[in-house]
Amino acid sequence: MDRVGVFLCTGCDIGSSLDAAKLEGLARSGGAVHVESSPCLCAPDGVASIRKAVDAQTVDGVVVAACSQRHKIEEFRLDPTVAQVERVALREQAVWSHPPKHEDTQALAEDLLRMGVVRAKKMIPAKRCAETLEQTVLVVGGGLAGLQAAQAAADMGNPVVLVESSPALGGWLAGVRELVPSVPPYDRLQPSPLPDLVRSVGADPRVRVLVQSRVSRVSGQPGKFAVEVTGPQGKTEEFAAGAIVQATGARPYDASKLAHLGHGASPDVVTSADLDAMLARGALARPSDGKRPGRIVFVQCAGSRDAGHLPYCSSECCGTSLRQVMAVSKAWPDVECAVLYRDLRAPGHGEHFYRAVQEKSTVMLARGTVEGVTASGGRLSVRMKDSLLGERVEIEADLVVLAVGMVPNSADGEAIRQLRDARKRIEKNESETQRKAAEEVAAALAHHDGTAILNLTYRQGPDLPVLQHGFPDSHFICFPYETRRTGIYTAGALRAPMDPAQAAEDGWGAAMKAVQVISSLERGEAVHPRSGDFACADFFLNRCTQCKRCTEECPFGTIDEDEKGTPFYNPNRCRRCAICMGACPERIISYADYSVDAVASMIKEIEVPDETEEKPRILALLCENDAYPALDDAAMKRATWNPWVRVVPVRCLGSVNVVWVAESLSRGIDGVILIGCKRGDDYQCHFVKGSELAHKRLENIQETLTRLSLEAERVRVLELARNELDRIPVLFDEFAEKLEELGANPLKGF
Amino acid sequence: MAPSATVLSPARGFRAELLRRGGGDAARCFQCATCSSVCDLTTSESAFPRRQMLWAQWGLADRLAGDPSIWLCHQCNDCTARCPRDASPGDAMQVIRALVIEHLGAPGFVARLVGRARTTWPVLLGAPIVFWALYIGLVSGFAVPRTPLVYADLVPVWMIYSVFLPAGAFTLLAAFVGARRTWRAWGEASPRSGGLLAGLAGIVADVLVHRRFQRCEAARPRKNGHLLLLWGFLGALLTTTLLGIQMDVFGLKTPLPQGHYIKLIGNASAVLLVVGLALLVANRTRGQGAGRTRAFDAFFLTLVAMVVLSGVGAELGRLFLPPAAALALYVVHLGTVLSLFLTFPFSKFAHALYRTLAMAHERLASERRPS
Repeated sequence: MDRVGVFLCTGCDIGSSLDAAKLEGLARSGGAVHVESSPCLCAPDGVASIRKAVDAQTVDGVVVAACSQRHKIEEFRLDPTVAQVERVALREQAVWSHPPKHEDTQALAEDLLRMGVVRAKKMIPAKRCAETLEQTVLVVGGGLAGLQAAQAAADMGNPVVLVESSPALGGWLAGVRELVPSVPPYDRLQPSPLPDLVRSVGADPRVRVLVQSRVSRVSGQPGKFAVEVTGPQGKTEEFAAGAIVQATGARPYDASKLAHLGHGASPDVVTSADLDAMLARGALARPSDGKRPGRIVFVQCAGSRDAGHLPYCSSECCGTSLRQVMAVSKAWPDVECAVLYRDLRAPGHGEHFYRAVQEKSTVMLARGTVEGVTASGGRLSVRMKDSLLGERVEIEADLVVLAVGMVPNSADGEAIRQLRDARKRIEKNESETQRKAAEEVAAALAHHDGTAILNLTYRQGPDLPVLQHGFPDSHFICFPYETRRTGIYTAGALRAPMDPAQAAEDGWGAAMKAVQVISSLERGEAVHPRSGDFACADFFLNRCTQCKRCTEECPFGTIDEDEKGTPFYNPNRCRRCAICMGACPERIISYADYSVDAVASMIKEIEVPDETEEKPRILALLCENDAYPALDDAAMKRATWNPWVRVVPVRCLGSVNVVWVAESLSRGIDGVILIGCKRGDDYQCHFVKGSELAHKRLENIQETLTRLSLEAERVRVLELARNELDRIPVLFDEFAEKLEELGANPLKGF
Repeated sequence: MAPSATVLSPARGFRAELLRRGGGDAARCFQCATCSSVCDLTTSESAFPRRQMLWAQWGLADRLAGDPSIWLCHQCNDCTARCPRDASPGDAMQVIRALVIEHLGAPGFVARLVGRARTTWPVLLGAPIVFWALYIGLVSGFAVPRTPLVYADLVPVWMIYSVFLPAGAFTLLAAFVGARRTWRAWGEASPRSGGLLAGLAGIVADVLVHRRFQRCEAARPRKNGHLLLLWGFLGALLTTTLLGIQMDVFGLKTPLPQGHYIKLIGNASAVLLVVGLALLVANRTRGQGAGRTRAFDAFFLTLVAMVVLSGVGAELGRLFLPPAAALALYVVHLGTVLSLFLTFPFSKFAHALYRTLAMAHERLASERRPS
């Protein structure tokens, strides 16, 4: 921005703690064309003074030197196509967290102001690219979640295409007449909503149902997906879709792997799904002789929470067994049912239903670990250890039902991509060693062959990346339904193991996200978590070396590439995390309000005192999603921290370009601390992979530091949860202590 | 080869019976052991009633029958008051005791008859009364009683003996069979340091002042009524014994003068019984920690009430009522006393036997255990 104006607030203790006149002078000498102080900038007068300067075109870059960017958002919001705003958090970073009228506090504030002014200068006006987009929502999977998603999207006014691979809608619950109660008094079975839903969705003119069909190709980006569906007899049809809900559900764990629980040894050892099929036919009969069983023993956690099978709890098998026990005792009151469980899980109102089942005189719910099921002479015997009786027990049964867990019907898009890459390398056969390595990869991933569901034409693979245990899940509290493919949302048991009530709710949730993404993109705005941001990434392709790091590392598969490997940016897939910007070694990716140059320039504005002054400097790059808000809160609680720290908020730790670290250290800054969100399986990173990538990149830079005879310890990468505000000052102090131990940066003054 | 395991048959038989008798709440138990923690009577060696709740759920009737702990429970209902699942362990223990009494009783058909008092009570109460009415009527030729009424004229001592000696023998035999069975089984499960008499000597003081009952919280109001009833019964027993000796050995004739010492003991016992009974009935109707009243409790309490009230009624009726009415009360008294005798080993009354034995057993067994 050419004409930067600085608006200094002296309220909230700023004026009484800092030398405001000095700051004003600094702003002027820093190149601000307009400098103004206000005793309360967020009051109508103050806000009006900013708008007046913008309207008069006196300024097009506004530095609000007041409070953090997380406060007074509405007051200081300007149209970024006209004027960009930079917030300098004097209140949180300097005044509330450091002693007033102190030379170190003043120096800190001055650094912050200079950094803000230069950043405002480096911004350019944003461009909004609004366009009319396709409203159709494609729902893949016609089970409960998919049906509910289809109906919800249609009810919100969007046309829907529902694709189901089997001949009929309904999925696994199609034959189940009654479900676990979801309404008071929660003690009796209630009719399944599925038949009505199948009927209404089937009859809905807004929903086109394609059964016996599969998605054979999806290309493009949200708002303009080109979808190809292959129906019966290989007939294909193409249509456009704005967003996709994948609700392909889950399947029961393969019980043939549970020989120790008698599966295969006797036909009378069945799975919950088998029993549902039996109940759907209205015939409770032993598969071996067709007789009605006198006693049914349900084995919970069959192959679940077991490192050798499914390591997780599917959370709904207990409900299913209780439902089946209730159905059996309703229709055949003389049939005994025993449910043997390790932990009976009946979350929420399920407790009431559990109690209702427990009170049936023919029902025994017993805790213990089932060791095995043996069959002899038509009788089954279930052996259980760790029972509450304190001894091994054996229970005879006529029918054993294995309550097996859920396996998601997902496709590991990244693995399929790796498999295809490996096969290409084998074909190319460039060298013996390369071919052998590729063959090993191909063999290890061969089971992914033919599993593709969405058949995306994305560079990163044809399906959603999966997380733990093959579920394409997202952070379950903060961003449900989100996937790593913008505009594609997951619902139901595909996303995480869940019961029918949750799956139905999921259908609603994912449909709402799908409708939302289309309308956000029509306004040219990004979706979660940078909702409303419309500045897209800008690629200066002339300098691109086709290194593919951006296309590889984008967590959302935003960037495809052409034959030569030149990135092709799909703005509607982009979440504006700037992880590509952090990845790019040529630094050719930037945003109107966030760029490698802008942050590097800010770093240059940090005044580094001479070694003799014994005033070290620490650069802290804090993720805007968790760490920076936590710091704000710490300041709000008047926590104090080390005065040598200069904080720069970043969009994601993944957006940190290592150049910034190198720049800092070469300028004599003593250390760089980077704080991001939790990574790994239980990640809290709002861009899923950002924190992880930052760790990887900075491990690499630490080697470089060692080569430059700088201590690797001068760069520290940490994780912080949003609620760990008390830890931040401690982390700063610990790092400062370490740096003191190391001594001053030897590059100071060069 | 898998280690040997106990073969279980859940739900069948015992559990259905438990449910029928009103112990169905036990199914709700999820073994948190709040009951055992709050119980002031439970012992650290064999904590009840948590374990018994589990056995009841699994229908392990034999284990319950062979468990002395069920008798150490005084049904304070502290457990029921604090159970987070409303599984009513106190009630369950009572139903378990009822089932175990029936299980141990011999001959079995009498045990079952008394066990089903909910439906058989008219027979259990009515048959002995009708029997006495007919017996007295036939012997006296259905003569209208004269004034002043002398019961011994119409019901001579030989008639009393002719009925109560065989009835007493039956009761003693049946009680002995049940007692010996359990005493032996308990001894095998946990060895004792001495014999029955030593055990009884060790607990007699506890029983006579209800030292254990005193520890109950929810049911403390019940303790006084129960204690009075116990002393009343002991007084009645003393009265009958003294009277028998005086009449058979020293030729004492009834009716006794009002100031006679046996009369005074008898009347004092009657007062204790009436007051104790009134306290217990009031306690139950107000629901003060007595637990739910099942047929098992109601039958026994009704029987005791009828024995006591008809006894007092016959004594006073002889002086103040028309002879026929007084005689009718006397017949009811004789009939209900006979019923009390005959049902003793099979009704709630049997707890006097089994609880006493269990306390003696526990005393002896704990002495054997290394402390």
